[in-house]
Formats: sequence, C-alpha cells, structure tokens
Amino acid sequence: MAANHNTLDIDEARRARLTDALVRTGEGDRSAFETVYKATSAKLFGVCLRIFPDKEEAEEALQEAYLTIWNKAASFEAGRASPISWLVTVTRNRAIDRLRSKGKAGFTALDEAAEIADPAPLADAQMLVASDNRVLNSCIDDLNQRDAHFIRCAFVAGATYAELASSEDEPLGTVKSRIRRALIKLRSCMEGLS
Amino acid sequence: MTTLNEEDVALAGELVLGLLDPSAEALAAARVATDSEFANEVEAWHLRLQPMLDGNDTPVSPDVWHKIAAALPKPTGQDDVNGRVRLWQSLAGLSTIAATIMAVILLQQPAPVVLPEPAAPLIAALGSDTGKASLTARYDSDHGQMLLTPVSLDTGELYPELWVIPADGTPRSLGIVSGDSPSQITINANLRDFIDQGATLAVTPEPQNGGPGGKPSGPILASGKIVTI
Repeated sequence: MAANHNTLDIDEARRARLTDALVRTGEGDRSAFETVYKATSAKLFGVCLRIFPDKEEAEEALQEAYLTIWNKAASFEAGRASPISWLVTVTRNRAIDRLRSKGKAGFTALDEAAEIADPAPLADAQMLVASDNRVLNSCIDDLNQRDAHFIRCAFVAGATYAELASSEDEPLGTVKSRIRRALIKLRSCMEGLS
Repeated sequence: MTTLNEEDVALAGELVLGLLDPSAEALAAARVATDSEFANEVEAWHLRLQPMLDGNDTPVSPDVWHKIAAALPKPTGQDDVNGRVRLWQSLAGLSTIAATIMAVILLQQPAPVVLPEPAAPLIAALGSDTGKASLTARYDSDHGQMLLTPVSLDTGELYPELWVIPADGTPRSLGIVSGDSPSQITINANLRDFIDQGATLAVTPEPQNGGPGGKPSGPILASGKIVTI
C-alpha cells in the first residue's frame, strides 16, 4: 500500500510539473515548451501512430500537433483539465482534421491495429495516463459490438454520423439515437466502475 | 448531484467524438465556455475515451523537434542590440493600428551600420493604408525558412497569396498562405536571393491555386519592406 501511495505522489509531482510547463508555454516560454515536448512526445507520437499508422504521416501529424499546442497553450486551464488529457485532445483533434483534409477519415479508415491497446503502457507513460484502460475496455465490451465499433471509428478515425449510417445502410436518425444510447450506457457503466 | 440530463451527457460525448455538425458543435462549444457542469462532463468524456488513443509510447526522431523548434517564432535573444527585436516581437500582440504605426517607425529607422551576424534574421511588417490588414514576416536566410504571421487579414472567399517584389519590380509568388494562423514557408532555392533587405513582401487575394499565370490578379491588401534586425 505504501508503495502505491509513493507512486501516486510521483504521479502528482509529474502532473504538476507538466501543468506548470504548459502554463509557461502559454506565456511564450520556449524552454518550458521543450520540457512539455520531452515529457510527452513519445506518448503523443503513440497517439498519432494510432490515427496514422504510416510513420512519416504520424510524424507530420505530431509536428502539427505541437505547433497547435504552442499556439493554444495559453487557453489551457490548469484548474479544469488534466494536462495530458488536454495535450491528447489537441493532438487527436489536429490529427483527425488532417485525416479529414486528406479524405482518409471515415468508417473504413479504422483497421485492426487501432483497436484498444491491451498491453500495459511503459512505466513512464503510465505515470501520465489520466484514465484507466481497463474500465473503458470492460464497459465497451458490454455495448453492442457495432455501437462500440462506431464509437471507435468516430474517435480514432474521424467518422461522421453520415459515414457511419451509410456503412450500415441505416437511416441517419437511427444511427444517431443508437450512438447516443450507447454513450449513455457507456458512461453509466464507467461511472459505476471507477 | 448533477443537473445534467441524459441528453446533455450524450451531447457532451458526441462533442468529444467529433460527431456533431458544425452548427451543433459551435453551440456545444459555447456551452462549454458558459456552463461549468457541462464543461466538466466534456472533460470527463475526454478522460473516458482517451484510452482508445493510447498506443505504445514511441520515441520520436530528433528531426521532429528540430522542425518544430524551427517553426516557432524566434526567441528574444541576448543579441538584442538596440531593443528592436523586442519591439518587433511585441507587434503580434498589438492592435492592427498600433502594429502599423510601429511598423512605420521600424521601417523609417536606418538600417544598422554594422550587421550583427551573417545570419541576422530579415523581417517585414506588412500593413495597409486602411489598417485593415497586417502581418509580420521573419526570414531565416540560412535555412530559407519564412514564418508569416497574420495579425489581421481577410481575403473573403479568396486565398492570401504572398509575393516578393525585388528591385526589378516583378512580383514572384511565395505561395498561398494561411489567413488566420502562422505559415511556415520553405522558400524555393531559386527565389531565395530575392528575399533581401529592401525588397517588398505583399499579400493579394487570389484563387486557390494562386494568381493566374503566376501573377497577382487581386489588389495588394498588405505590403511592407524587408529589413534586417
């Protein structure tokens, strides 16, 4: 138990350092930005590789993500969001924009490799992970398989409702209400477990 | 106790998944800014879904950082001989009118007699008489990299095209740039000699593929002379 507490303390310290570096980045501090980069680039590259399995494209997406992070860091609210969650969100959104602008987003863009990763992340990353894979995995398994796949397609491959609907040959309204119901179910399952 | 209903919960999830159409997304984003409970739910959705993005942490080639660092605005250095660097860098944060005035002041100053370094960056403040458009440009001649930052620029339906106009008066295109975010431009080797002190940078509104025949077809929205700092 004591060991767990220590780990938590280290987590907290890392998170606080990252928060501080991100806030200073927002003030235009380049060395703070480099600190953010060093602490998070391997993780965010992993995110880019999930969205762009091609390494070169993932590197370009990562560059764009960090320039967006530099430009947007001033809007990071230290009190609200976890720094790593904010960074992943910016990276994911930028990469999905890129995917869409290349016409590669959509239902079919998600391959097997983009399913949820089961192996434990590296120790360093684990410190920064803001959420628990196991909770999501177990709750998403409870969903209808197609709904779960749709949610993954939207989040990881930028699929829109229209693309999801046409992939299943279902009316848009039906797909929308199915996903919305699935989201409510997912949320109540995850809140129950965590 | 939450006052959010299931509709709100689903809406927050759809926002995070990127499933909303643009107008619904704008409304939901506005709600994030004004409704802290809804904002908390959105943040919770980020945390719930992000494990889907957890890949294996992968070391990144050092090139990537070098490219990112090169695309950033240059830092205020100790080689700030006469304060003009700092002055210049504060331009981006000023109002358009103030920026234009500052640019005029800068441009009226004589070129430094002693050039500090061979690699001294070249800069330009692009402004207009009406004060409606203004941009800043910084050029690293060692690497042929230009960073163009729009302070305010509106090209309507058209796209901003950047031109260099050297002493011969003939505009050469440097490409279509972004009107609302900084553009990092790699200058073609055959154009690099033109980017020098005294040449003019200008922006015109053009079709997506640039001015027909490689020539500007729209009015100059903003222009400014290149100077050494």
